[in-house]
Amino acid sequence: MAETKTEPIITFKDVSKTYILYKNDQERFKALFFKPRNPKTNKALNGISIDIYPGESVGIVGDNGAGKSTLLKMITGVTFPDEGTITVNGKVAALLELTAGFSLEMTGRENIYLKGYILGLKDSYIKEIEDKIIEFAELGDYIDQPVRTYSSGMKMRLGFAINVNIEPEILVVDEALAVGDASFKSKCKAKINEIIESGTTVLYVSHSADSVKEICERSIYLKKGQVVFDGPTEETLSVYNEDKEAEAMKKKKK
Amino acid sequence: MLLCENCANFSYCYLITKKLVIYKKVAYIFTILKEHRGFEKQIFLLAKNELIKTYKGAVIGPLWAVIKPAFTIFVYWFAFTAGIKTLKAIKVDIGVNTLTFDFFTFMFVGFIPWFFILDGIVQGAKTLRLNRQFITKVKFPVSTILTYTSLSRLFVHLFLVIILYVYILFVVGPSWYNLQFFLYCPLMFFFFLALSWSTAPMSAFSKDFENMIVSIMSGIFWLSGIMYNTYKMDPPLNFIMLFNPINFFVNGYRNCFLYNRPFFEYKTELAIFLAEFIVVFALGIFNYNRLRKRLPDVL
Repeated sequence: MAETKTEPIITFKDVSKTYILYKNDQERFKALFFKPRNPKTNKALNGISIDIYPGESVGIVGDNGAGKSTLLKMITGVTFPDEGTITVNGKVAALLELTAGFSLEMTGRENIYLKGYILGLKDSYIKEIEDKIIEFAELGDYIDQPVRTYSSGMKMRLGFAINVNIEPEILVVDEALAVGDASFKSKCKAKINEIIESGTTVLYVSHSADSVKEICERSIYLKKGQVVFDGPTEETLSVYNEDKEAEAMKKKKK
Repeated sequence: MLLCENCANFSYCYLITKKLVIYKKVAYIFTILKEHRGFEKQIFLLAKNELIKTYKGAVIGPLWAVIKPAFTIFVYWFAFTAGIKTLKAIKVDIGVNTLTFDFFTFMFVGFIPWFFILDGIVQGAKTLRLNRQFITKVKFPVSTILTYTSLSRLFVHLFLVIILYVYILFVVGPSWYNLQFFLYCPLMFFFFLALSWSTAPMSAFSKDFENMIVSIMSGIFWLSGIMYNTYKMDPPLNFIMLFNPINFFVNGYRNCFLYNRPFFEYKTELAIFLAEFIVVFALGIFNYNRLRKRLPDVL
């Protein structure tokens, strides 16, 4: 592992992402055929460059709309940047939208295979981890029922179980994640900690300073699509808090 | 080609390349192919589930796949032979002979590809919007959504073709030319799949585009030779009709089952169709690649 330390596992190079805001449906229709002339845009990410190395746990802090979720969605390969390049050197497990992306008519077991294929895994490998996933999700006989019949908690458990059992190299976690009842929650926490301790690279998005401090040694503070500070968690959090206080003062003055 | 042990999908395979660039401008033509690679089994499974989704929950379930088209055919037959009373037989020139076909048989053979085409265009345009959970929430080979949904429609089509063929065996009798079905059917599948590479992302982008397609299609029926013989129209109309690719398939199915005519006999028709196929294919690849990366943002 020591020699790979030199090569980053995730690289963002001058990555920008602009959402075009169409005034109305007419504009949207026109945009199909012509490039819109000076459209209203929202720059979600603005020239971001980040290197993340194997084994690191990186926290991402920032207010709503700072570009955190856009950043994570790019790492998982859901959205694409307009400019710049993103390099990801490993299997990504995303604990973001756990109930999404199932084929509802398929059984839980078939969905395990579907997700596995999407992640680029082979039959033999999925077969190996299949039992582990089913056991972890605590679905029992429901595993061979269509996912449509699952409760939202069951769907979440299955989604979680698949993601953590594929032995990811990169784990993307949103702290706002809710996974069923208290006992399962603690099981999830334990599993996440186990993955982190095993040397997996972790990206952790959170609003609570305490949990970031607990897990991540390094943190990135995003604001309006730009990196304000990138460094040890303690320093980043103090910059973040100062910034917030300054903003609050400004508001008060107004 | 180096293949790794754990990986089926080489576009996102980290084991072969060790270095995976998500945002990479790959040659346009290969993006769709790549997305299908290693996903074949899943496509079949998803197509099967698409069928279950469509027909489950109804008391007579899959029978609806037959009842709906049967009723449509009945209504048209009723209106034209019992109501308007003018259409009893259709004359078609084949080589030097003019053959007469029973109107119902003529219409029946034309309707079977039409049902597939109608669904292919209308549903094909709506597919991405209906399957948005695969686009906005997870990484998914998006073009395979189009493939598995049209595959599920192909299954229904094949089922109808079997019913048609039983009818043909009794009324017209078998012929070697029937085998041309195995040429026309895949060609039809791929033509309308390639068309949906353009229409589906565009409909996802703009609901107006989707509505436009849906409203055009009811008119297109009467501009295609399902109820009449386009070869017999007054010139230049009979020539203009060759540019409608739907006619190519409707007439093609009749070549197989009624006319006993080889597909290459009418060369102008074939040439025009092939040219259109290339254009639709190229446009499809262009539009899909142009809009693919914007899809998660607009859906």
